[in-house]
Amino acid sequence: MSEFQRFLAKRLAISILLTLVAVSVIFVVLRLLPGSPFESLVTAGNLSQQQITEIRAMYGLDQPMWRQYLSYLQSILLFQFGYSILRSQPVWGVLAPRLVNTLILLVPALVTTAVLSSLLGMYVGWNRGSKLEKLSIIATTFLRSTPVFITGILFVIVFAYNLELVPAFGMRSISASPEGYVETFASLDFLHHYILPFTVSVLYYSGDFLLLARNGVVEKRGSEFLKLHRAKGLSEMQQLARAGRNSMLPILTYFALRLGMIFQGLILLEVVFGWPGIGRELVLAIQQQDYPLVQAAVFIMALAVIVANLVADVLYAYFDPTVSTSGGGAA
Amino acid sequence: MSLLDITDLTVTYSTDSGTVHAVNDVSFSIDEGVNYGLAGESGSGKSTLAEAVLGLLPGNGSVESGSIEFNGRDLTGLSERERRDVLWEDIAYIPQSAMDSLDPVMSTGAQIRQAIQTHRNVTDDKARARVRELFEIVGLDPDRIDDYPHEFSGGMRQRVTIAMALALEPDLIIADEPTTGLDVIVQDKIIDKILEIQDRMDSSLLLITHEIGVIAETCDELSILYGGKAMEQGSVDNVLVNPTNPYTMGLKNSFPEIEEGDQDPVSIPGSPPNLSEEPSACVFKDRCPFATEECEASHPDLVDLPNRNHRSACHHVTKAAQMRRDATDPETWGIPDSHDESDRGEVLLETDGLEKYYEQSQPLLDKLRGNDPNYVRAVDGVSLRVRRSEILGIAGESGCGKSTLGETIALLKQPTGGEFVFDGEPYEHYADGNMREFRRKVQIIFQDPFDSLNPRQTVRQLVGEPLTIHDYRTEERERAIVETLEKVGLTPAKKFLDQYPHQLSGGQRQRVAVAKALVLDPDFLICDEPASMLDVSLKVNLLNLLRELADTEDIGIVYISHDLASLVQVSDRLAIMYLGRVIEEGDVESIAAEPKHPYTTSLLAAAPEKDPTVDRDRVLLDGEPPDPVSLPSGCVFAPRCPKAEDACRESEPGLDTVRDGDHRAACYFPDGETPDADGLADDRSDSTYGDPEFSPPASGDSASD
Repeated sequence: MSEFQRFLAKRLAISILLTLVAVSVIFVVLRLLPGSPFESLVTAGNLSQQQITEIRAMYGLDQPMWRQYLSYLQSILLFQFGYSILRSQPVWGVLAPRLVNTLILLVPALVTTAVLSSLLGMYVGWNRGSKLEKLSIIATTFLRSTPVFITGILFVIVFAYNLELVPAFGMRSISASPEGYVETFASLDFLHHYILPFTVSVLYYSGDFLLLARNGVVEKRGSEFLKLHRAKGLSEMQQLARAGRNSMLPILTYFALRLGMIFQGLILLEVVFGWPGIGRELVLAIQQQDYPLVQAAVFIMALAVIVANLVADVLYAYFDPTVSTSGGGAA
Repeated sequence: MSLLDITDLTVTYSTDSGTVHAVNDVSFSIDEGVNYGLAGESGSGKSTLAEAVLGLLPGNGSVESGSIEFNGRDLTGLSERERRDVLWEDIAYIPQSAMDSLDPVMSTGAQIRQAIQTHRNVTDDKARARVRELFEIVGLDPDRIDDYPHEFSGGMRQRVTIAMALALEPDLIIADEPTTGLDVIVQDKIIDKILEIQDRMDSSLLLITHEIGVIAETCDELSILYGGKAMEQGSVDNVLVNPTNPYTMGLKNSFPEIEEGDQDPVSIPGSPPNLSEEPSACVFKDRCPFATEECEASHPDLVDLPNRNHRSACHHVTKAAQMRRDATDPETWGIPDSHDESDRGEVLLETDGLEKYYEQSQPLLDKLRGNDPNYVRAVDGVSLRVRRSEILGIAGESGCGKSTLGETIALLKQPTGGEFVFDGEPYEHYADGNMREFRRKVQIIFQDPFDSLNPRQTVRQLVGEPLTIHDYRTEERERAIVETLEKVGLTPAKKFLDQYPHQLSGGQRQRVAVAKALVLDPDFLICDEPASMLDVSLKVNLLNLLRELADTEDIGIVYISHDLASLVQVSDRLAIMYLGRVIEEGDVESIAAEPKHPYTTSLLAAAPEKDPTVDRDRVLLDGEPPDPVSLPSGCVFAPRCPKAEDACRESEPGLDTVRDGDHRAACYFPDGETPDADGLADDRSDSTYGDPEFSPPASGDSASD
């Protein structure tokens, strides 16, 4: 087994362990919450005591806790998420479209901003003290620190109401009823609705990447190896590329982590733009104590973060030859 | 026509607090195939000069006036693009710190290939072949061209940068302190390599260094810079043998040499001048013992000395011979000559077979099977004794465990075996609740004066902090601080009390670090390479200070360094370490004069010689120290030893194998073991510079690298 494989195996084992812990925490926390999914039905007086007992037995909620836990583990690790209590349809059928909606909005936004603001950050870090540097830092920090719903509402007011360029909310026009993903997302109507929330999320994420890239380059700028690169006769842009390559690691890590967190959606953004994403769905599910739905949603989110972490580790080892001792796995 | 012609070059930096005149009206020229040296203390403008030639001045630096002509072309007038074409193709650069100057995320071969392909249109295959060839030339394994910088040791990285500099066979190579920070042995190898390659390629070399010895051995001509002015120039033979400028004399006298056992190196007191104004008086006048009114009036011009390749900028050139004589006397420089060796007192620290092993991490499976883990034997059975008023020098290459030994006897690391007795009490006594007492009595001074002081504390807080911690002399705190500062030569102490470390020079910072250690009146001082970051004259200052402390304050000192020359100056006894063991121990005089262990011999031989007329025998050791985890059986030095025989590989010699009074060595075939001691004495009287013969029989064989 090479050094790199051993490293990979170790990380994998840790990830699996983390997943188990996360899954158990979800289970325990949900049971600790007061009340149950049926409480509202009971208080409304729609159900008799006997019906409640029957339903509880149907969902296996009358069994001892450890047995519930075991069957929960067994199902969730096999991605069998069961039926939503309140919606009476398979959990996956509820979650999958919302998740896709969220990802189709946030993944392209994150990738775009990671590339653009990192490049801009490297450039302004190299030309330290320029007007562009100050302006970009102020602008992105402002966008980052303002709650996303404020920026969102501002954009809606300006671009939707005043200029009437784009629709204010929703994913498609009310009259549209597309079938299947391709028809849904590959249409001008969708694009029309897409552009505003996309822009807001790009701006929202830009600050972190810009600052990370800028700081990395600023730190590397005075280093000896860049002086040698310069003495070798590399052009300004080639030197900047080397400085950028050397400060890429934190950006990469941050990108991977953010990518994992995207599975949680941006709840505020989804609310402002009326975007049917996973974040809104989760809030609703928690309010209604829809156990299977919450469990499944939280499990997917936790899994995404854990996998993203794993990817970050592997990427790190791949891009930084000094990480693994034998230098294995390096390009 | 000469290759590089620098005329009246003036370089300034603009800073927040005004303009810094780093280089002032310096002129010199380098002919083809000539090695040119630039020497001077830090702040003398030598690196700025090199950066100006390369066009690598930082943004706030600019060439004010003068010209830099390379092959008849003025480099100062080139556009960015034209300059890039000149760089590397015609002028290559070997940077200062090999450790940081290679791109950490690019393989070494790719970095050299990049240099080639930036300037020439060659295919990847051809460039790779060239890189392999270059690796071979500088003595690296050509199969390692895809390795990353962190997989190479410091010396090997410097070889990579040399290979890079050679890639396009430039006409001029500028080497900025190429060996600073490297071990003596590695330094010697690198210099040897540079010279060897130079012979082959016939390019010129501009070597910048503060080590006069390195220039004396490698260069044909040199300039001595001080305060941005050229103080003295000419052929190395003239300038270094018969210096005519007080600064050159000072610099030369402060360079410690092994052979001068009894003669103290003489430091130049004071610190380099403030360059915020263009010099109107002689830049050296504040530190020069021969300064007169004339020196106040103007900075002297460089004057050609009759019939030799030698120029000096001094108003008193005519009195050079007289000054040369006076300059060797410390009193000329206002340094009191206090050399009454006090007797060594009782034994303060004693270790017997002291060990510090580090357990290697091992795979889970081996752990479960109960296999014994591997150990790194950083300190492996070291027995030492240090008396009061005695300085014990510990020498060795990097990685030999000398710093770990220092930290272990300071009990900053727990010994894993062996006996340790300090001041009559064993280790257990201190480990058992008496550590505070130990910490007061034993102080350690670290290598780097730039990092070891808290930048947000004033000198008063820094020096006073140990007093608070140990509740020592708290009622007369201020007095204790002032006394200590004066003791270490920071006078008047009042001036320094409220300053922060960044306002102090390197030498002053190291003095603050020493003061911090001394304020508790310790009995024992451990110095771990305290001078390795300092200029020669500051280094000598520090060495003299330690010597004085040992003599007057009755404290025992352990001085750890790889620089044998300064160890010989300062210590009473020496212990030479190799891979965690002491392989030779004894009085300084007897080790310096008659080293017994071949390793000591090669260490001694690796120190450069400041006198260019002396030919030194290089004893170049093969390879690097073996992996401390899997040590060879028998003598650990055997794989690199020119004299090793079967007996050496079978069993390990003990330290008592060779014994001559107090002088012990662990070797079966010691050097200089000639029964007729008379012959040896004759040899020594023959050489004018008191240069004993360090030539082991097999030195020729080992020179092949």
